[in-house]
Amino acid sequence: MRSGWQRLVADLLRSVPRGRWLLAASIVLAALASGASIALIGVSAWLISKAAEHPNFLDLSVAAVGVRFFGISRGVFRYTERLVGHELALRMQSALRLRTYTTLARTTLMGKRHGDMLVRVVADVEAVQDVVVRVVLPFASAVVVMVGTSAMLVRFSLGNAAVLLATAVVAGLVLPAWAQRVSRDADAAAIPLRGRLADQVRQTALVAVDLVAYDADTAALARIDDLDAQLRAAERRATAVRAWAAAGQVVAAGTAVIAALWIGGAAVVSGAIAPRLLAVLVLTPLALHEVLGGLAQAAQTLTRAQTALDRVVEVLDAEPVGRGDAPLADASEHPAVHVADLTIGWPGFAPVGSGISFDLAAGESVAVVGPSGVGKTTLAATVLGLIPPVSGEVTTSGRVGYLAQDAHLFATTIAENVRIGNKDATDDEVVAALDQAGLPLDPDRIVGELGATLSGGEARRLALSRLFAGSYDVLVLDEPSEHLDAPTANALLDDLWSSVGTRPLLVVTHDERVVARCDKVVRLTA
Amino acid sequence: MPERTGRGPVDPRLLSRARATRFFLGAGVAAGTATALLVIYQAWLLARTISSFTQATALDGLTTTLVLLAVVLLGRAGLTWLTTWLAHRSAAAVKSQLRHDIMAATLEAPGGTPSASLVTLMTQGLDGLDGYFSKYLPQLVLAVTVPLFVGAAILFADWGSAAIIAVTVPLIPLFMAMIGWTTEARVRRRYRYQTRLARHFADLVAGLPTLQVFGRAKAQAEGLRRTEDANRTETMGTLRISFLSALVLELLSTLSVAIVALTVGTRLVYYGIDFRTALFVLILAPEVYLPIRQVGVHYHDSADGIAAAEAAFVEIDRMQARTGTAAVGTGPIVVEELTHSYGDVVALPPTSFVLAPGEVVALSGPSGGGKSTLLSALLGFLTPTGGSVTVDGVGPADTTGRTWRRRFAYVPQTPGLIAGTVADNVRLADPQAGDDEVREVLAAAGAPELELDHLVGDEAEGLSAGERRRVGIARALLRIRRDADVLVLDEPTAGLDADSEAIVVESVRASGASAIVVSHRPAVLAAADRVVQVGGDA
Repeated sequence: MRSGWQRLVADLLRSVPRGRWLLAASIVLAALASGASIALIGVSAWLISKAAEHPNFLDLSVAAVGVRFFGISRGVFRYTERLVGHELALRMQSALRLRTYTTLARTTLMGKRHGDMLVRVVADVEAVQDVVVRVVLPFASAVVVMVGTSAMLVRFSLGNAAVLLATAVVAGLVLPAWAQRVSRDADAAAIPLRGRLADQVRQTALVAVDLVAYDADTAALARIDDLDAQLRAAERRATAVRAWAAAGQVVAAGTAVIAALWIGGAAVVSGAIAPRLLAVLVLTPLALHEVLGGLAQAAQTLTRAQTALDRVVEVLDAEPVGRGDAPLADASEHPAVHVADLTIGWPGFAPVGSGISFDLAAGESVAVVGPSGVGKTTLAATVLGLIPPVSGEVTTSGRVGYLAQDAHLFATTIAENVRIGNKDATDDEVVAALDQAGLPLDPDRIVGELGATLSGGEARRLALSRLFAGSYDVLVLDEPSEHLDAPTANALLDDLWSSVGTRPLLVVTHDERVVARCDKVVRLTA
Repeated sequence: MPERTGRGPVDPRLLSRARATRFFLGAGVAAGTATALLVIYQAWLLARTISSFTQATALDGLTTTLVLLAVVLLGRAGLTWLTTWLAHRSAAAVKSQLRHDIMAATLEAPGGTPSASLVTLMTQGLDGLDGYFSKYLPQLVLAVTVPLFVGAAILFADWGSAAIIAVTVPLIPLFMAMIGWTTEARVRRRYRYQTRLARHFADLVAGLPTLQVFGRAKAQAEGLRRTEDANRTETMGTLRISFLSALVLELLSTLSVAIVALTVGTRLVYYGIDFRTALFVLILAPEVYLPIRQVGVHYHDSADGIAAAEAAFVEIDRMQARTGTAAVGTGPIVVEELTHSYGDVVALPPTSFVLAPGEVVALSGPSGGGKSTLLSALLGFLTPTGGSVTVDGVGPADTTGRTWRRRFAYVPQTPGLIAGTVADNVRLADPQAGDDEVREVLAAAGAPELELDHLVGDEAEGLSAGERRRVGIARALLRIRRDADVLVLDEPTAGLDADSEAIVVESVRASGASAIVVSHRPAVLAAADRVVQVGGDA
């Protein structure tokens, strides 16, 4: 039974064009690269042993060519393998990103509860690269090399080959797997501690001024030191396992060498093999075990990657909620909202509000107020048609536009940001929409993460201009004054109220200043 | 590929500021030296035993050799264990020290770094040091000790092979520097473009809720597909260049081993060297290059670790711990030509006033005029660029922050509340205060209706902005009942109704403390003994 992340990786491999071919090619190349470094030592050992018999120099020429070939080819194989492997990993990452995006786009994501998930999933999908490049390829190629090297030794000494394979399996598979399993459990135990540390740090930073002003900072610092000490203890357990595994790999390598000397020495004495082969039998295991040393690291990478990918699988497998994209209604001469005996709730969760009724016509504004958590944003999502009502009636006529308090600014030009509201807006329309929102900025200016950031008020105005660009008939505003200082908020509200004209306005808010500007108030109660 | 700073492989501040690093480097060098010696002894044992079999007719003495080999290998296993363990202990010690120092700095100079960045730095950020200590530093130590000792051993055994190694080893950094040098500009240009493409996905996902509201989310998938294709092409282009240095590293190291093997083999044929020495050299030659190669493998860990340390030191360096021991008297608070600017921007124009004991002074002025800056300087949270705040000639710089603030009870514009109950928050001023007293100060702050066990969540969740402010005022009033005698209030009555406002004004008066109040409200200004204009006369 495959676990979630394994299914995902196998699935992605199938969906990528030539995916299996690329995988096979990079495993072969990786095996060739490791094989070349083992062969370099093996052939060199043979060459020197043979040379010690002072033969005709020509007898060494084949081995000499081999030594040169393996000396050069290792680097070339490794370089090619890296490129092919990364090509595959990047293709799989792209496929996963697209799949994640289309899945998320199908489910309604409005509201705060999704913020963390969206940030996390972006980082999580990158784990697929690690799984391919740092886990699958090293392990798969190591298995090929182990079997290949042992098979080569069978020709000289069956006993040596068997011991080598056994120690290689221990060092390359058993120990890494054991360390991975045990330290994963220890790491898992540390996760809640990390969460608590993060919470404590955030809280302390947020109220630092107050803590300091009231001499409570020493206690706060002591709490963080205490959590840090607990975290340290948890990490120590995981490290002990890794340390034993690393030491175990050295012991396995040593066992292989000692056994090779013992068995090989006996074979030489009994005349079963030529003395010149003994160096090959002893030095080859050393070279093989050197290749296996990195696998403990690969196993640790797997721990991190599989947790991340399991979270992605969770996102991909979740049932879609709501309809994702808001429906695009036709424009209306008489925009209005009619809500009667409405019960609202996020699909899959308990209803949060019921018995909601109001009518909103042109030139009117309605404020929806109530304590936090009472379902104000849920009501907005329901009116927008993003999620269905639990019961009751919502009808809207005209296109309903929504101004979120945390509308996202894309890392592109102001103009492209405005065009989110209407992808076909002309340059003039963009400028007009910006003017209407009271934001006379250069449309070609880059904003967001890559460009200059806008102030809170400017960002809100830019988001507002999207509604004007898209000629929305009904406006739903979510906490339009939230997080803005008083003068900025007042200026924004003044401009808003004067620029919306006769459009019906539904405002979700807990700000008394906003409520005071509305014609009607709908109070939601818990 | 993170851009590399000009610093060396070991951040000197990690050595000077995090003591565990020095111990670890010392112990690491010892373990690295021991490892190198064991490697040499192991090679010598193997070479001797293998060469003895060319004439052997019985397994004489083999058992002794095997036991010796086993001891050597157990020693190497023990050293591996020790290095891993030491690395963890050092990483943990450095992380703990930095965590403590960062938090102490945050509490010494609050409000500098956004809490989210601080959380990232304190958790994942500092975890970057794990890789630095557990992989990079040990390898770095081995890359210095092992080639040195092993190279010396080869030199004693066979100077010809040592010469080959002595020529090739320095070529490795030389070629890598040359490649880095010639490709740097190209890699950097591609990297920038590629980063932008890579961020597109993050940007789109973060913007999904917004796109959905405008019915545009599903349509963006096609654009994402195109950007992803472009991103992959660009990334592969960057990788083709940046993997070149690894290629050179591997080529040089394996090729050198091959050359050593070939020359030794040739000399062996013509009696230029004996078999045992040849084997000894062949076994040791790869050991010279292995740790050097591994350092390249763990290069990224070093970059992450150094970036983490750098971010940590930026935080810590913001703190200038005050060590003065002057006592703060009970005289009037004298603000003299106090001014502050950020670069060319004047945050607070020069302002002077004196607050006599028992006096209530209101600070008035336009938003952004510097009133809150003045309070920060007054409380010692900020070192002003000009002028002074003194009590009997002693300023915040002459004593510890704690001593300086002993007289003040401060209510910021948005009081910070800890998660817990309302009572917990009021009791920040005095953990021993009884329920009755907490209720009294809450009533005095205009919040008699607030239950003591009313839960306060993260970021004051569960309280309205007005309630939050009144809890802050109650806390300050409680502190005044103890040893503080100056209320410092920033917009204490914003968002309160007229009745609550009157109660607060009355309580401030009744407390008998002197007070500095920032406010726009006429009722507050009217109740003050004096009004001081800050930043213009609006």
